[in-house]
Amino acid sequence: MEYLPEWITVEAFWTTLLIVHGLLAVALLGALTHQAVVLLLPLRAGARPSSFVARYRAVSSVPYANAVCLLWVLTFVLGAWIYAKYRIQVRIPIEQQGYYKTLGVFELKEHLVSFGIGLLPIYWYLWANAANQAYQSARKWLTVLLTAICWYAFLTGHVVNNVRGYGS
Amino acid sequence: MISDTLAQSPRFKTFALVFAIAFPLWYIASDMARLPMFTYHPGPDLFEWGWVKARRDEGPAMYWYGWLATSALGSTALGGLACLLPQKWTQRIPLALAWLVPLLLTPLLVYSLKFYWRW
Repeated sequence: MEYLPEWITVEAFWTTLLIVHGLLAVALLGALTHQAVVLLLPLRAGARPSSFVARYRAVSSVPYANAVCLLWVLTFVLGAWIYAKYRIQVRIPIEQQGYYKTLGVFELKEHLVSFGIGLLPIYWYLWANAANQAYQSARKWLTVLLTAICWYAFLTGHVVNNVRGYGS
Repeated sequence: MISDTLAQSPRFKTFALVFAIAFPLWYIASDMARLPMFTYHPGPDLFEWGWVKARRDEGPAMYWYGWLATSALGSTALGGLACLLPQKWTQRIPLALAWLVPLLLTPLLVYSLKFYWRW
């Protein structure tokens, strides 16, 4: 880690990266969940949103698509960077403790978010043509799938961090 | 703007759709058939082409980055080739495959991790 400035320790550097990774994931989760809720539980045409939940369902979800793509890529790149460190500093001790199912669900997360990366170009295209009714079903289920992957990845990452985070 | 041009382009739609379908297939294939483009050894910070076993006393080997590279390259190639086909053919590719293929492959992913479910 010779490229690190003197004022930050190696542990603090990786912990900061992990926290930024987590914060980006929170933003991504929020954006995708908004879209999924609007698609699955749309407000009736003409209905006035009066409650918090109704206002949540009434947001315009189209502008979220660019942010979702950017956030997915940024979160993914940071996660990929941290992954090499995780492989040595975090995974090996968890293996030694015998928490294999924990490791398995985390490996599944890596696979699923990789699937997600491959879906981003068509996801973006379908949302860029949101007015096209022929794309409505594909847009809906693709967004729901990405949202499910994001929730799974977020929760799994959180659990693994609780098992053994950096600096522990 | 380039994003407006892409959003209106039938060729980009074909590319993106075929990319989305091919990516998880390439990913599963490169995982289960040991076809990563390269192997990364995080201990000595070393890359080697293809699938290589972990180096003795130098920590684990990582294949995930190599699987991603294989999947990205293979899917880009297939997406590019699909763009060369007549549009009357590519228009027939169901959009639903974009989310159905990764969804249907997920149980296979779970199976590929069977090592972890034994304990």
